[in-house]
Amino acid sequence: MIHVSLAGPMLSHFLEYGWPYRSRYAGGLLLLLATNGLSLGIPWLLRDAIAAMERGARLTTVAAIAGGMVALAAGQSVVRTMSRITILGTSRHVVSDVRESFFRQLCRLPATFNDAQRTGDIMSRGINDLQLLRSFYGPGVLNLCNTVIVYVAVLTLLFTIDVRLTLLSLLVYPPLFLGVNRLSRRMYALSRRAQEQLAVISSRAQENFSGIQQVKTFVQEEREIAAFSEACAEFRRRNLSMAAVRGAMLSLIGVVAGSGTLLVLFVGGRHVALGRITFPDFVAFFAYLGLLAWPTIAFGWIVNVFQRGVGAMERVQEILLLSPGIPSPLDDAPLLAAETDAEMAGAIDIRGLTFTYPGAASPALSDVSLSIPAGSSVGIVGAVGSGKSTLLDLIARVYPAPPGTIFVDGADLTTMPTQRIRRSIGYVPQEAFLFSRSLRENVAFGEPDATEADVRRAVETARLSGDLETFPGGLDTVVGERGFTLSGGQRQRTTLARALIGNPRILILDDVLSSVDADTEREILSRLAERLRGRTCLFVSHRFSVLAGLDRIVVLDDGRLVESGSHAELIEKEGVYARLLEQSRLERRLEAP
Amino acid sequence: MSTRRGLRLPAGLHDDSIVGRVYDTRMIRRLWEYVKPHRALVALSLALMIAVSAAQLVQPWLVMVAIDEHIRTGDLGGLAWIAGLFLLALTGEFLLRYAQLYVLEWTGQNVVYDLRTTVFAHLQRLPSSFFDRNPIGRLMTRVTSDVEAINEAFASGLVMMLADLFKLAVIVAILLWMDWRLALVAFAIVPPMIALSWFFRLRLRQIYRDVRRLVARLNAFLQENVTGMRLVQLFGRERQNLAEFERLNRDHRDAELSAVAYDSSFSSVAELVASITLAAIVWAGGWRLLAAAITFGTLVAFIEYAGKFFQPVQQLSQRFAVMQAAMASAERIFGVLDVEPSIRSPEAPRALPGRPRGEIAFEDVTFAYNEGEPVLRDISLEIRPGERVAVVGWTGSGKTTLIRLLVRLYDVQDGRIRLDGVDIRELAVPDLRRAVGVVLQEPFLFSGTIGDNITLGDERIDGEKVRRALELTGAQRFVSSLPGGLDEEVKERGSNLSVGERQMISFARALAFDPAVLILDEATASVDPETEQALQYAMSTLMHGRTSIVIAHRLATVRDADRILVLHKGRLVEQGTHDELLAKSDGIYRTLYTLQAAG
Repeated sequence: MIHVSLAGPMLSHFLEYGWPYRSRYAGGLLLLLATNGLSLGIPWLLRDAIAAMERGARLTTVAAIAGGMVALAAGQSVVRTMSRITILGTSRHVVSDVRESFFRQLCRLPATFNDAQRTGDIMSRGINDLQLLRSFYGPGVLNLCNTVIVYVAVLTLLFTIDVRLTLLSLLVYPPLFLGVNRLSRRMYALSRRAQEQLAVISSRAQENFSGIQQVKTFVQEEREIAAFSEACAEFRRRNLSMAAVRGAMLSLIGVVAGSGTLLVLFVGGRHVALGRITFPDFVAFFAYLGLLAWPTIAFGWIVNVFQRGVGAMERVQEILLLSPGIPSPLDDAPLLAAETDAEMAGAIDIRGLTFTYPGAASPALSDVSLSIPAGSSVGIVGAVGSGKSTLLDLIARVYPAPPGTIFVDGADLTTMPTQRIRRSIGYVPQEAFLFSRSLRENVAFGEPDATEADVRRAVETARLSGDLETFPGGLDTVVGERGFTLSGGQRQRTTLARALIGNPRILILDDVLSSVDADTEREILSRLAERLRGRTCLFVSHRFSVLAGLDRIVVLDDGRLVESGSHAELIEKEGVYARLLEQSRLERRLEAP
Repeated sequence: MSTRRGLRLPAGLHDDSIVGRVYDTRMIRRLWEYVKPHRALVALSLALMIAVSAAQLVQPWLVMVAIDEHIRTGDLGGLAWIAGLFLLALTGEFLLRYAQLYVLEWTGQNVVYDLRTTVFAHLQRLPSSFFDRNPIGRLMTRVTSDVEAINEAFASGLVMMLADLFKLAVIVAILLWMDWRLALVAFAIVPPMIALSWFFRLRLRQIYRDVRRLVARLNAFLQENVTGMRLVQLFGRERQNLAEFERLNRDHRDAELSAVAYDSSFSSVAELVASITLAAIVWAGGWRLLAAAITFGTLVAFIEYAGKFFQPVQQLSQRFAVMQAAMASAERIFGVLDVEPSIRSPEAPRALPGRPRGEIAFEDVTFAYNEGEPVLRDISLEIRPGERVAVVGWTGSGKTTLIRLLVRLYDVQDGRIRLDGVDIRELAVPDLRRAVGVVLQEPFLFSGTIGDNITLGDERIDGEKVRRALELTGAQRFVSSLPGGLDEEVKERGSNLSVGERQMISFARALAFDPAVLILDEATASVDPETEQALQYAMSTLMHGRTSIVIAHRLATVRDADRILVLHKGRLVEQGTHDELLAKSDGIYRTLYTLQAAG
């Protein structure tokens, strides 16, 4: 019948987040008891007033009782407000806590998680599911407590007034209660079906809009309209079958109060006429029974809120219970200043590294061994999908490398604090992603304490200072998705400045100057060379201009290291490297203005 | 052709910032156009609503009669009669309300159905450039949540508001008629109540605006960090960003807390008002009763009526909010409906004589998606009937745009394109698109069966033609191996078929349609050698006996072509046969060719 599965782990999760606020909830419960106590006094006074009138008492007596009612009403209203503020407010606190753990967990999970879960899915859990939890902890708890209190108190009072009449009323209310409950459950099921159809409409529209050119090319407009209309007609049909149930439910709710009245009127009226119950008691009974109408109606809703809350908690916990795989700096103690400052030499040693993405059939890297002395510069070359970016990501610990495969200054990467390795690395990823904040904050992203001079210097090296003048607010221009639009080259140079500002021992550049024109590139490279003296550098690039000046170049092919040597050596070899280089030379020619 | 992907954002992120008025005459008038066909149903619904009110309002009256004439006099027989009448009123209320709710929903659903399909059909007529300018997410909102907002307004907006007002007026009349002095005492509370709820409503609106702003900020931060989490971790920003998130989260929570405070006070005020009214009626009623001006029954009925009075008054502000949202949505929807389709068939289109010969001419064609950035410049070329032409060029050279112009997905900005000597803008658009068959790089399958995807609903293509098309392209073998054969359902644009299979189906489709001109955007996706061979065979069958333009990526296709057109940065820079072009040292074609040979 009424079934909310709150058993087992979910219950403990609900308690876990509610527990810190137990005293608030207890306070809210007391306030609820108090407010109901006060509100139940009002019909009692009504009874006294009627009795006084029946006796023909003086108007001042009636006025005094009316005054008492106003006092009770005022008190009731204040206490009820407090109870709502307490319980509903607590739900906001609880959900704010859950949201914080959710975000904290997102920060802890490695990039492999982000690749697997689509942004939309994470966002939906972080927004819609938390909304459902809020209803659970707030109005859900509030109305559940209130319903129980009202039912217990009102029934007690009704029994006090007249046992037989109460028992008779109970014949009417519980069936209505169950009827409304059953209808509302059916309605929620139908409403879910309607929502599913709305999702079908959405995806039909989405399919159509994203393929609109094809639709037009094949003159399929009419058929698409027909198919869409059919989906809409199905939606209408489902909505109408929901309306049939909803109409019954609302109509039933509409007559809940009325049927109580009918019962009291007919049975109670007989009692009064036969002198078994006084008229004032009759009126009070009448008023009390009316108080049961709302909790009866609300019950179906409460059950639904609890069911949906459980589902939401499950989805949120799915993410909260994942294990990070790479130790997150959030779990370590902050690094001591001494540790941060302890300079790394920056020697990287890779031994027999094989790596397969979770769920992938074949490895992205197979048995790669490579030794990079501290302070040397290495170019990594290879076709799309050859494993270049994977190698860089493993070195920067974006993905977890198997133990005993990557060593930095002789220490196994997996045994180092994540924070330490990341602080020593300046990474410029292929995709020039900027955050929606000022240019200054973007550049100082990893170094929030950077001085103005540091920012200027990084911007200068990345050849961005000239562009600053063309931005509306200079360094304070807000960029990113919701800010000022930078050109591809400007974005790349900003990400370069972002990596340079921390003065990293190891610099990783993943094909970062692709949108920068040749002149600017030359300038950037010459400045970089100066600034990077003595630091370890890893470049992914196809550009002759970049590669020619490096100490060593390695060539990846399908996850394997196939060639290694200096630029001149590799050209002489006339292997993969020479071919790739020729290709990129031709491409540049085609792209030249 | 490049496909644009729609970013699906959870609700609440798409903040189209139109704030509607509660009642906008212009919008109401335009919406009325959609309601008008169902006006009989609307009238029926209103009539039913009046009947519901009547059945409802007769109940306290019966209570009054029962108390005064039966309960207090001990007339049990009469009481049974009254109880019977009450049961009748209750049953009437139940049935009438049910009918009313259903009729209203039925009307609303029909209106919304019409509106939704109209918007969708209108969008189908808008040119591709419109879709370039408007993100898919925004267009989706128009056919989903905006239409739903109007449905909501229908279900609990204007019609209900009218019914509420009617009910209020009747209650006021009854109370005044029963005892006007008592009625005035009961109503004394109304002006302060309205003032108070007005105050709360204004404050609440302000607070909710803050809450929405903070929610948007919080969610935007979340979204950005989910997208850029890799960088957050690489730069060791976890602590700072967590702290920032905590701050945003706290601000949001605090704004919500003040919303809770006002909201709670607001609803308590409403209850307080009801209780105070009760007390006032008791006090004034006692006075009137003791003066023998009214009876006990009147007093009880009065209390009942007053209770029914406050409910609709309280709901009024909620209904206002619904109306406001609906007006904003209506404005956005009509904004789309007001966009004129710019690519249309002419009033009196010229007919192509029978089956077109397939002669194509571009004359000084210039085109830009964005003003000032031409993608094609002064393109002039002629293609003879039956000629096989290959178009080659580096990324961004304008190959795809050339095709888009030929089928009028976009209109040329300068110059013109002729088919069999007729400017394509003088042809009916469907005629043009049927004369020019397109096989896309990413084979595009529609929802439906495999058979549907070959006939595309064209009844002239019978089973025999479908069979022949499958046979000639060599697709017969794999289709007959499917469990459902031709009736196999295509799921999600063909995700249950392999790329090669989808390609085969699109070849069969093109062959069944037998277009005069065939455009083939050659596939770049890699398939196994066997499929590759099958596809090559199907392709040459397809090109046989018609003008064909191949956007070429493979050397083999290029070599077989009668002529090769080389596009570079929007200009036609070279043309000739493979050997002729290869002979030009330093030519673009030669560079492209060497590049491909090297890869």
